[in-house]
Amino acid sequence: MIKALNLTHYYNKDLALENINLEINKGEFVSIIGESGSGKSTLLSLLSTLLKPTSGEIFFENTNYKNIKDIDNFRKTNIGFIFQFHYLINYLTVKENIKLANEKASNDEIYNLLKLLKIENLLDKYPNEISGGQKQRVAIARALINKPKVIIADEPTGNLDSKNSLNVFEILKNLSEEGTTIIVATHDKELAKFANKIYEVKDGKIN
Amino acid sequence: MISYAFKALFANKLKTFLIILSLIFSIVSIFLISSISNGVISMYSSMLKSDGDIIVTQAKISDTFFSNVNINLVEKINNLKDIKDTSAMTVGASPVEKLPIVAVYGVTKNRFKNYTLIAGNYPSKNEVIIGKSILEQLFNKNEIQIANKSFKISGVFKSEIGFENGGVVLNIDEAGEIFNKSASMILVNTTLNSNIENIIKDIKNLSDEIDVKSTQNFVDNYNQFKIIKTSSNVISFIAFSMGLLGIVSLMSITINQRKAEFGIKRALGIKTSKIVYSIMVESFLLGVFSFISALIISNVTLYFVKNAKSLQGYVNGEISVELAFYIFVTSILMAIIGSIIPALNAAKTDPVELIQGNKI
Repeated sequence: MIKALNLTHYYNKDLALENINLEINKGEFVSIIGESGSGKSTLLSLLSTLLKPTSGEIFFENTNYKNIKDIDNFRKTNIGFIFQFHYLINYLTVKENIKLANEKASNDEIYNLLKLLKIENLLDKYPNEISGGQKQRVAIARALINKPKVIIADEPTGNLDSKNSLNVFEILKNLSEEGTTIIVATHDKELAKFANKIYEVKDGKIN
Repeated sequence: MISYAFKALFANKLKTFLIILSLIFSIVSIFLISSISNGVISMYSSMLKSDGDIIVTQAKISDTFFSNVNINLVEKINNLKDIKDTSAMTVGASPVEKLPIVAVYGVTKNRFKNYTLIAGNYPSKNEVIIGKSILEQLFNKNEIQIANKSFKISGVFKSEIGFENGGVVLNIDEAGEIFNKSASMILVNTTLNSNIENIIKDIKNLSDEIDVKSTQNFVDNYNQFKIIKTSSNVISFIAFSMGLLGIVSLMSITINQRKAEFGIKRALGIKTSKIVYSIMVESFLLGVFSFISALIISNVTLYFVKNAKSLQGYVNGEISVELAFYIFVTSILMAIIGSIIPALNAAKTDPVELIQGNKI
């Protein structure tokens, strides 16, 4: 589904990633592990079209990223993001935050999605009225509302306790079993074991 | 979109309040300076227009206050074809009691009808009629002194024109003695459907020392009005620029604090144009709200200015529909132009910073 060939990326003159090759299949749960500053976030940014590589190629379902004309729309329809910090907009309700990712999503769709994540009672709550774990689940709902083919999650449990962390990874695991490709960057090697493929990034290279 | 914009504005109450305050100050300044200068022009031009289609002043004199026209021309003009009525007026100013400056109008008898009496009679020799607003400020309501000469107050009139309501009217020959001139100007009323240009030529032929214009032409080209308008435009532009700078700086601060919001929107695939548009909608709402508030504040201020005794009714702002529309457009432009640069910066927020774990 996603294939990276000879990816190299520099920030100005600083090498961040060197000669990365990887292949991720549909429905796979992939963990990218590595120390802080190892290059895993750069890799996620490249795979999610947020960054253009200095050299190398990335293919999404055999389409080269370089040939995608409307990159915003491509990202909107194919990739869902979950960040370490939930980045919910405080002045919007849970429902409105989710609608931000898909204006056309019906109330029923949003409700069913929240029900799946067991937070349907939070529909009209504001982010400051719910807990950290609930916020991250809302962020997951926001990532899922477009029914993306791939979910890219960067340290999604970085701000959660172990119970909530486990819960989030269970949700991601279920999504992957239903066919959504999951790419997660984490430093937690225990949680990384949920994945059926693990890449370790070290000094900008995959071991 | 609009409900989200409202929510965004309410979420940043203090900054929204400061932006609105900055906009209101600028818009009120533009309103007041424009309406007061328009009011001054309107008051003086109304006085001129009230009695004539044609105005005769001294040639090569740029201000009616310094103009001196031979009053004998009144009769000669009256004898021309298509002339309905001709009057003369001397304009001057004098201190009266404790008031430093009071408008004094010397007029021919046929012009007295322009002053609607609310008490007493039109003036005879050594008498004056005075405007209602000036009467309220006089200690001696029976007699006034103009240039060391005493005049009995024979009547009180009321006028919608502030310059008249705050003025003194007397016979033109007595005004001529005070201000040492025959008449400041002659106002000519023509018959219906007459050819104004031909009449102007006929009047010009009567003397080489006069300048003759249609009243509208005179008002449009009067240098004092041009100076007032230019000054008003310059001050309005400064107020606009100050408002603009205020919006740019406050919006920049607000938007900088909302960078994470724009970063997540970019990451979610929302186009930069849509992000800019959403900020423009917020700016539009700020502009509309500020305009409405400024309109109310300006009207209240102008009411107090109009009724302030110390200003003798000489300062009278007018907010016409045209002016309100012009300032509405200016307000919206100010809000939107002031937000464009911060909005473009917001739209450029790099979502990579989010994915790299920075709380931007």
